[in-house]
Amino acid sequence: MTQMLSRRSFLKLSSAAAAVASLSSIPGTLGALEESQKQLKGNAKYTPSICEMCTSACTIEAKVEEGKGVFIKGNPADKSRGGKICARGSSGFNQLYDPQRLVKPIMRVGERGEGKWKVVSWDEAYTFIANKLEEIKQKHGAHTVAFTARSGWNKTWFHNLAQAYGSHNLFGHEATCPLAYDMAMDDIFENGISRDFGKAKYIINMGHNVFEGIVISYARQYMDMLAHGGKVVTLEPRFSAMAAKSTEWHAIKPGHDIAFVLAFINVLINENLYNKKFVEKYCEGFEELKASVAEYTPEKMATECDIPADTIKRLAREFAKAAPKAIFDFGHRCGFTPQELELRRAMMMCNVLVGAVEQEGGYYLNKGAGFYNKFLGEGDAKAPGLKKPKIPAYPKIAVPRIDRIGEKDNEFFLAGKGAGIVTLIPKATLEDLPGVPYRLHGWFIARNNPVMTQSNMETVIKAIKAMDLVVVFDIQVSDTAWYADIVLPDTTYLERDEEFTASGSKNPGYGVGRQKVVEPVGESRPGWRVAKELGEKMGLGDYFPYKDIEDYRLQQVGDNVELLAKLKATGSASFGVPLLLQDKKSVAEFVKKYPSAASKVNEEGTINFPEKIRLFSHKLEEVSKKGALSYEPYKYKEADELYFVNGKSAVRTNGHNGNNLWLNNLCDDAGVWIHPKTAERLGIKQGDKVEVYNKYSTQKGKANVTKGVREDTIFAYFGFGHVSKELKRAYGKGVNSNALYASFVSPNSGMNLHVVGVKVRKA
Amino acid sequence: MAKKYGMIHDNNLCIGCQACSVACRSENKIPESVYRLQVWVNGPTEYPNGTLGYEYHRQSCVQCENTPCVSVCPTKASHVNEEGIVLVDVDLCVGCLYCIAACPYQARYVHPVTKAPDKCTFCHESRLSRGEEPACVTVCPTDALVFGDLNDPKSKINQVRSERVTYRQKEKLGTSPKMFIVPNHKGGINS
Ligand code: SF4
Ligand code: SF4
Ligand code: SF4
Repeated sequence: MTQMLSRRSFLKLSSAAAAVASLSSIPGTLGALEESQKQLKGNAKYTPSICEMCTSACTIEAKVEEGKGVFIKGNPADKSRGGKICARGSSGFNQLYDPQRLVKPIMRVGERGEGKWKVVSWDEAYTFIANKLEEIKQKHGAHTVAFTARSGWNKTWFHNLAQAYGSHNLFGHEATCPLAYDMAMDDIFENGISRDFGKAKYIINMGHNVFEGIVISYARQYMDMLAHGGKVVTLEPRFSAMAAKSTEWHAIKPGHDIAFVLAFINVLINENLYNKKFVEKYCEGFEELKASVAEYTPEKMATECDIPADTIKRLAREFAKAAPKAIFDFGHRCGFTPQELELRRAMMMCNVLVGAVEQEGGYYLNKGAGFYNKFLGEGDAKAPGLKKPKIPAYPKIAVPRIDRIGEKDNEFFLAGKGAGIVTLIPKATLEDLPGVPYRLHGWFIARNNPVMTQSNMETVIKAIKAMDLVVVFDIQVSDTAWYADIVLPDTTYLERDEEFTASGSKNPGYGVGRQKVVEPVGESRPGWRVAKELGEKMGLGDYFPYKDIEDYRLQQVGDNVELLAKLKATGSASFGVPLLLQDKKSVAEFVKKYPSAASKVNEEGTINFPEKIRLFSHKLEEVSKKGALSYEPYKYKEADELYFVNGKSAVRTNGHNGNNLWLNNLCDDAGVWIHPKTAERLGIKQGDKVEVYNKYSTQKGKANVTKGVREDTIFAYFGFGHVSKELKRAYGKGVNSNALYASFVSPNSGMNLHVVGVKVRKA
Repeated sequence: MAKKYGMIHDNNLCIGCQACSVACRSENKIPESVYRLQVWVNGPTEYPNGTLGYEYHRQSCVQCENTPCVSVCPTKASHVNEEGIVLVDVDLCVGCLYCIAACPYQARYVHPVTKAPDKCTFCHESRLSRGEEPACVTVCPTDALVFGDLNDPKSKINQVRSERVTYRQKEKLGTSPKMFIVPNHKGGINS
């Protein structure tokens, strides 16, 4: 049993959880206010909106039933998700009612992390924060306060506030998750890319577990391609649900994915399996790539990654044969390594080499309004772009950011300024960073939980304790809020409207963002309102030139009321017809609709790539001699240690929904996976309490003895072992994987490191 | 002809995500301590040939045609309706709990509020009457659940049953469940 509890333990557990849930030791929570008993005021019809239980942001519809429950389902208008939703999504309304949810601002009265709080009014909270920020500005400069907010969550509002205040230290959560592959796309394609999993015939998957870290559209596409006889090869140190559905599973050595990919490229090139025509016409840097992988023969790399040379060769041949309906998945989370950027670039290059780009069943460039409009001649309808309200110029800042993005020759130049290298914040607080003439003194964190989600929890907490001000805006007293000075109650996604979103797929798409299903519970307030009100308190009202979110949205669509109406009613809209540049049929259809695009069509009936695809990066070469691909062995563990890796669970994801009643009841300790031989050697049996430990932390969990993990590896799901005592259901249960990892910022990508050495003993 | 509702749970498509079990909880306001539906994920399990796999067991009422739970009920509280759905009439229930003992699928529980037995009803009360599919079916991300009228030759459930091999739990007992299972044909992968 991996995720599910037996009926008996389920009963036992949930009655205990229910007992705990009714206590409310903390002021400002919903349980303390008895407001949970009230009838919900909200929309009795289905309102299209977007889920916020994880970052996949699935399209949903939700309604209030008889003033009591909220039923959430997938938005049937969204074809890619088929109107479906996962367990987390269905559990959304648990957040709304949760007695442990914070609904009033609270201020720390004891030591940081002591758990002593008092309730304050919003006005007191704003005054406190405004004064503290002013104090820091006077003493150290506004730039010494870092602002972290997640995209599509609160970034728009709090990054605006940050810059108005005078800080350019803006961050998202990206460096703890997708940043490296976002950077790799920019480096290679000068554009975002997606994968057409559904139509592929052959997929190589390195630890991208779409069936547990569920992305519904991906899960559906994978099932579809498998049902049509497609093959999936999964390389991952443990046997995940993904591996189980795959055609083949290979238990690759943790942290050594890049060794495999380099050998794979070596085979593609040396055996002439690559698409010469495509490479010559559309790529640059092939010769450099060829030279750089020449030494990485399958024989040499086999011993590194623990995949036989013959297997590497066979997979490369099969992959090339299936092209262009082939995908070397550039992945999502897997064991993050010090060579994160090189790894993702190498994965993407496999697809480029076989020419499986802008084709059905391969990769395609994300076509937002800007990209799409390039192909529409004068007079043809242009894809609508969303506008932004006009905001006055922000104050100029003379010193660099802590990650020095924006400086010439900066190693992280590929990271967007809104993403930043959030993993550097603890370092920039505790140490002097080269070229950064200051340390951080404050951290404003909107719905992000770095204590839980960044590697090496101990260092993150130490940094927080060293700061003059830590503000957290969240729906609960998260692990990070636990150490904050002041915690402001955010609304859940069912209680707020948000800005419209624009995206690019095969053609431009637009989303309604989140829409209010019920009125905010207690005194919770949405991000746009908090940022605006706090800004006004600080005398920065000019930077918020909109009355409310409705006004903001109106300014976004300009006079395009048609788009506005469509978005509100259906949740999403798309523009024009899909376009795949290398697919003759798709190009012909595009030209039929937009005749003026005919001038772009080449003699083969396709459209040339707008930019050369880069197999060698001159810019990376310049900043850190990493233009080519290379293998840099890294010592993750001592000889007497085991590798430790983590992964996503289907019911609990990320740092923020572990305390959800239903989800927690389904899975409160996902266990520590140990190979039977390793377990026997250590005298550990199935279900034993074990300690996983290294120099960074000691974590307790239950042993899951299984052949589904390598003998030299320990696996645990992440998002367990919460440290905030206010997350009463999730507190202390299971292994907190990020506590075990080293505090490490990967060169060029700024990513965390998710492979480390550990030992295991019976607890 | 009268309707005869049934369901398919395809083990190949199931990923054990629990979307179904949570949607059921939400739709039917199931109290915390009990459930109508869970999917038990067993695995990685080792098959006799040394390969690995996961098994997904849908734990819920299987809507028997020959219903042990109804036969033992002294008051007709447990009954089968005209659509083939096994139901409990709370007003007629005297709380003897014979049906709970009689069910070979451990599908029934005592509802903590009504104190009467309760179980999956294919969402008969709420969704079917509105012409909607059961809550679990509407959310399943991978379409592992197929619902429909077994008496309608053109229904999706009959279409799928003609294409995929299915079996039923504890077929030997002769209860004739209307829950059909597509076995995991992968049979695992070498470890
Ligand atoms: S929702 Fe579908 S895939 Fe998920 S556990 Fe239920 S049946 Fe399986
Ligand atoms: S599974 Fe149990 S409760 Fe359901 S019909 Fe069969 S015997 Fe009755
Ligand atoms: S059919 Fe309805 S009651 Fe039965 S398991 Fe599905 S959701 Fe629950």
